[in-house]
Amino acid sequence: MKQNNMLAMILAGGRGTRLHELTKKVAKPAVSYGGKYRIIDFPLSNCANSGIDVVGVLTQYESVLLNSYVAAGRRWGLDAKDSGVYVLPPREKADANLDVYRGTADAISQNIDFIDTYSPEYLLILSGDHIYKMNYAKMLAYHKENNADATIAVIEVPMKEASRFGIMNTDETTGRIVEFEEKPEKPKSNLASMGIYIFNWKLLRKLLMADMKDPDSSHDFGKDIIPTLLNDGKSLYAYKYKGYWKDVGTIDSLWEANMDLLDKNNELDLNDPTWKIYTEDVVSLPQYVGPDAVIDRAFITQGCVIDGTVKNSVLFTDSKVAADAKVIDSVLMPGAVVEEGAVVQRALVADGIRIGKNAVVGSADSENIELVAKRVKGEE
Amino acid sequence: MSKAFGIVNFAGNHISVDGLQEFRPVGAFSFLGRYRVIDFPISNMSNSGIDNIQVYIRRKPRSLTEHLGTGRHYNINSKRGKLHILYTESNMVSDLYNTDIAAYIENLDVIQRVQFPYVVIAPSYMVYTQDYSNLLQTHIDSGADITLMYHSVDTAKEEFLNCYTLDINKQKGVDAIPLNRGNAKNKNIFMDTYVMKKELFLDLVNKAHKMSGMYSLVDIVDEMCHELDIRAVAHRGYFAAISDFNSYYKANMSLIDLKNATNLFVNDWPIYTRTNDSCPTQYFDGSSVKSSVISNGCLIEGSVENSVIGRGCVIKEGAVVKNCVISANVTIGKGVHAENLVVDKHARLIRGKRIIASPEKPGYIRRGDTL
Repeated sequence: MKQNNMLAMILAGGRGTRLHELTKKVAKPAVSYGGKYRIIDFPLSNCANSGIDVVGVLTQYESVLLNSYVAAGRRWGLDAKDSGVYVLPPREKADANLDVYRGTADAISQNIDFIDTYSPEYLLILSGDHIYKMNYAKMLAYHKENNADATIAVIEVPMKEASRFGIMNTDETTGRIVEFEEKPEKPKSNLASMGIYIFNWKLLRKLLMADMKDPDSSHDFGKDIIPTLLNDGKSLYAYKYKGYWKDVGTIDSLWEANMDLLDKNNELDLNDPTWKIYTEDVVSLPQYVGPDAVIDRAFITQGCVIDGTVKNSVLFTDSKVAADAKVIDSVLMPGAVVEEGAVVQRALVADGIRIGKNAVVGSADSENIELVAKRVKGEE
Repeated sequence: MSKAFGIVNFAGNHISVDGLQEFRPVGAFSFLGRYRVIDFPISNMSNSGIDNIQVYIRRKPRSLTEHLGTGRHYNINSKRGKLHILYTESNMVSDLYNTDIAAYIENLDVIQRVQFPYVVIAPSYMVYTQDYSNLLQTHIDSGADITLMYHSVDTAKEEFLNCYTLDINKQKGVDAIPLNRGNAKNKNIFMDTYVMKKELFLDLVNKAHKMSGMYSLVDIVDEMCHELDIRAVAHRGYFAAISDFNSYYKANMSLIDLKNATNLFVNDWPIYTRTNDSCPTQYFDGSSVKSSVISNGCLIEGSVENSVIGRGCVIKEGAVVKNCVISANVTIGKGVHAENLVVDKHARLIRGKRIIASPEKPGYIRRGDTL
């Protein structure tokens, strides 16, 4: 808090239903990504690297694993004095009944007491299920420079996809937001909101107090808070972000985001020593590559054992590819095992799933990526 | 919780590893890519419930203290447990005086203050896994004064040449602890691992100190073989002593075979080390990797065969790495052929196109060198 007077709140309550079995037992921010990470490692590491030292994580859906995971703030270096990661599921309070978070804004409203204990000047709102690297300190500097009431990070998306996003129409010379349209049919701009906001806390606090009592509100930042600010004539600015950013909502996009890591000089660049992404430390062995292994274009991490063929694939912690097995254009989540002679193609094999001997899953010309979330029996 | 505290001892004067040891003590040597040698004794202790551990450092403490830190990563209870780093601080006139006994004498009050009846002593230059709680129980049940651990080998003529051995009688008692002079195939290599009562340990330290300024613990225990009940317990599983350059190279190479490695890395016996937050390793088009152990954070475009690759290494296009042990953050440049080498940290092999040593006498590339 001392560093920049900004406190971060990460919205991590989302269920991510379109990820099917992957989010049956864990919330979307806890889904594995990139060999050794969980998605929420990205906003948390970004906070740590941006000099933000108090982070609240708002959890709700299947939060047991997520709660204990993020509570270990030491992993991201968020454990100094006056620093910490606070897990904030809905709770019963002296003056209010236990209520689920009714929307993104309500999740913050219900934790006004927590934020007040730090009385920050600025509040940073983040989403727990996006993959990107961003220096929030730069965004804050931009916010201050403009003397803004709120700043929203935006990214340029292809015009034809713009109608899938919340679009910010801005004054091109100043960057000031003149209009916000949620999923517009005829978008006027291609600046999509990334769901990253910096607010002046005093102002937001006032708005949230009013929003809580508004029976017509859906208690959502995009639908309620931002439009109110614009209607009130407040100064909102768009902070243009350039770089890799991915919201992995579906199996296909999760697979794709993993495949992106295979490109040489890929934009996310997890190998950048100046902006490391931190995660849970595991005690697995280094990667073991056997005498007959063939590895061609792959992203492989600790604990993997490869005796077969791996092509164009991402292998997560402790996954194994036995002799004569083939893993092509696929993602093996932590602990997945592909037994002898099995073939995995254009598939995403979920945590700890075994693909039996000589079994075949996925296919080279499938339209969608096959999610394998149950054990596939092989030949005996 | 264990009834013993742990001491991780340093390599004495009989151990000398050319090249690598110039930069750090053996315990801080990179091992199998992601580990340091000292991770093994400390993890053994931690897994055995010993969470009061003293690590003695004889010289060049920087890399070791940096690696050990507070010891949190060894899963030692952060309140009740302690990883204590202790130096011999006095300026010895000669290294000959810089023995483990001198270190214990200097830190006598620290040892005296420890509230455990037993001590387990293990070396920082040997690689093995062992449940010390079993060893301690065996020791207590036997009623012996001291229990020593050994590993039987049939390669003592060529290997373990700087190590001590145990002469064991039929009752499993130890008669003497001579150095291995390479005169016989079969020897019981002393693993420099002791269990005894703390009080006896202190007695021996004081006695040794009075008898000779150059004595180390093994000398006084050898001397006491006929006065005390000293017994030997055999160790099974993987065992390596990093006692010279070749043994360092061989120990790494021997673990490339996963079957061999499973004798060292046994189930439910994690070997802890300090995390480096490296990302996974990226294998590019055209890379070829076979029979190798690869750490995280590498970028591999070339070919790697029968080698151990440390964290954050870059193997460029057309490079060939064969039978090498490569430490962290090494670059092997475009088209460079490296064979039978130990490459120390931060070295860059970029200009010489063929850097090949003989398989019998592997080469050493110094830390930070550019070739």
